[in-house]
Amino acid sequence: MEHLEYQFSRSHEWVKEEDGLTIVGISDFAQNALGDVVFVNLPEVGDEVIAGEAFGDVESVKAVSDLVSPVTGTVAEVNEELLDSPELLNSDPYGSWIIKVENVTDTEDLLSAAAYEEYCETEA
Amino acid sequence: MSRFACLELNTTDPAWNLAAEQYVFDCLPRDKSYLMLWQNDNAIIVGKFQNTAAEIDADFVEKNGIRVVRRLSGGGAVYHDLGNLNYTIITDAAASESVNLRIFCEPVVRTLWRFGVEAEIDGRNDILVDGRKFSGNAQYRKNGRVMHHGTLLFDSDLEMIQRALRVNAEKIRSKGIASVRSRVTNMKPYLPAGTTLADFKAALLEEAAEGKDTEILCLTDADRQAIDALRQERYALREWNYGASPSCTLLKRGRIEGCGSLEIYLTAEKDRITDLKILGDFFAEKDPKILESALKGCRPEKNDCRKALESAGIRTEEIICGLRAEAFLSLVCQ
Repeated sequence: MEHLEYQFSRSHEWVKEEDGLTIVGISDFAQNALGDVVFVNLPEVGDEVIAGEAFGDVESVKAVSDLVSPVTGTVAEVNEELLDSPELLNSDPYGSWIIKVENVTDTEDLLSAAAYEEYCETEA
Repeated sequence: MSRFACLELNTTDPAWNLAAEQYVFDCLPRDKSYLMLWQNDNAIIVGKFQNTAAEIDADFVEKNGIRVVRRLSGGGAVYHDLGNLNYTIITDAAASESVNLRIFCEPVVRTLWRFGVEAEIDGRNDILVDGRKFSGNAQYRKNGRVMHHGTLLFDSDLEMIQRALRVNAEKIRSKGIASVRSRVTNMKPYLPAGTTLADFKAALLEEAAEGKDTEILCLTDADRQAIDALRQERYALREWNYGASPSCTLLKRGRIEGCGSLEIYLTAEKDRITDLKILGDFFAEKDPKILESALKGCRPEKNDCRKALESAGIRTEEIICGLRAEAFLSLVCQ
C-alpha cells in the first residue's frame, strides 16, 4: 500500500496534514482520468474554500474540470509552480500539492488510502 | 434508461446561447440527458483559459461587429456564423468516462454516413472529412456531469473564419491556452446536392436519439428568465469575456510612416496591461517610459488607452517623433 499518509475525497483529491496546514492535491487516478493537464486555475492566498465546493479548475486535453475542496478553511499558500508547469500534476500527482489550507473548520468524510483504492476500482 | 431531451435554441446571440447551455447543465433535472442545437451569428468564442486579447484582432472585431464570448470548456478560439451548427450533449460523466469523446462524436459521424460521407474522429477533439476538420469539440465536467459541445461547419464563410481568427501579434510567453490553427472545411460540398442545414439537423437529431427514450424540450418562461439573468451576470460582461484572461506577452510589430519601425512588447492579464515596452528605430524626444507607464493598468483596448493618454495630458508626438496617437494605439491594441 502506497501513500498511507494521504486521505482521499470521493472527488479524487488527496489531503495531508503538515505543520498545522491541510495540503490538497489530486490523486493518481484523477490525473489519469483527466489526461494531460495544460492549465491550472488556482485561488488566491486568503480566499475561503468550502468542503465539497470548487476551489479552482484544471484544463486537460480532454476537458475543463473543477477542483473540489475536501475542507473548509482559508487558503494559506498556492503552488504557483503549477502555473508554469501544469504537467507536474500528471508526472508527480502526490508530490505536486495544489493549495495549503489553514483555519480548517470542516472536513469532508475522507477515505483512507486502502478504502480509496477500493473506491477507485468501483469507479473504473 | 434515462430520458433524452432535445432542445433547439432560437436565438443567434452567443451570450444567450452560452448562458442557456450553462443553465441546462446546472439547473435542469439530472435524471435526463440533453441534446441542444444552436447557432451563433458573427461571434468568436474563446476557451475558458485563453487570453482574449491575444486571440483576437480587436480592430477587426470592432469594425465587423463580432461578438466575443468566453465558454466554459477549454481549447482554442472559434468563429461562428449562421453556416455553423453547434451541438451540446449533457449527461452523466461516469458512464461516458471510459469511452469519452468518441461516444459523443459518433452521432455526427453516423449522420454523415447517411448522406454517404465518410468522416473520421481524430485522436484529440476533431472530426474530419477528407483529412480536414469540420468539427471541433470540447468538454466541461462538474459534479459527475459532463457537457460536451462541438461546432459543425456546414457552409460557413471559410475566409471569414481565417480572417477573424488571424492575430497580427506574435505570442512571446503565455500562461493561458493558445489556439491551434487547423485546416478546416465545410460539410456541404461533400453532401448530396441540395442538402440543407435543416436536413442535416433533422438527420442528426434522429441519429442522436436512436434507441433512446426521447422527448422534445421547450424552455418555460421561468427558464428563459433565469437564462436572461445568467447572460447579464456573466456572458454579456467584459469582465467574463475578456477579464478572466491569464497572463500573456505579445510582440506587436509595425511601421508608422514618419516615425519608424516599432516593436511593442505588451503583457496583459485579466484584461489589464501589466507591462509595456516600446522599442524601435524612432527618434525619441522624451523617454518612451512616459508612454509605457501611462498605459499600464489600462485595458488593452483603444478607447481605454486613448482616455489614459488624454487624462495624463500626453501627446504621443511630443515623446516619439512622428508617432501619431491613433497609429500608435492601433498598433498597441491590434
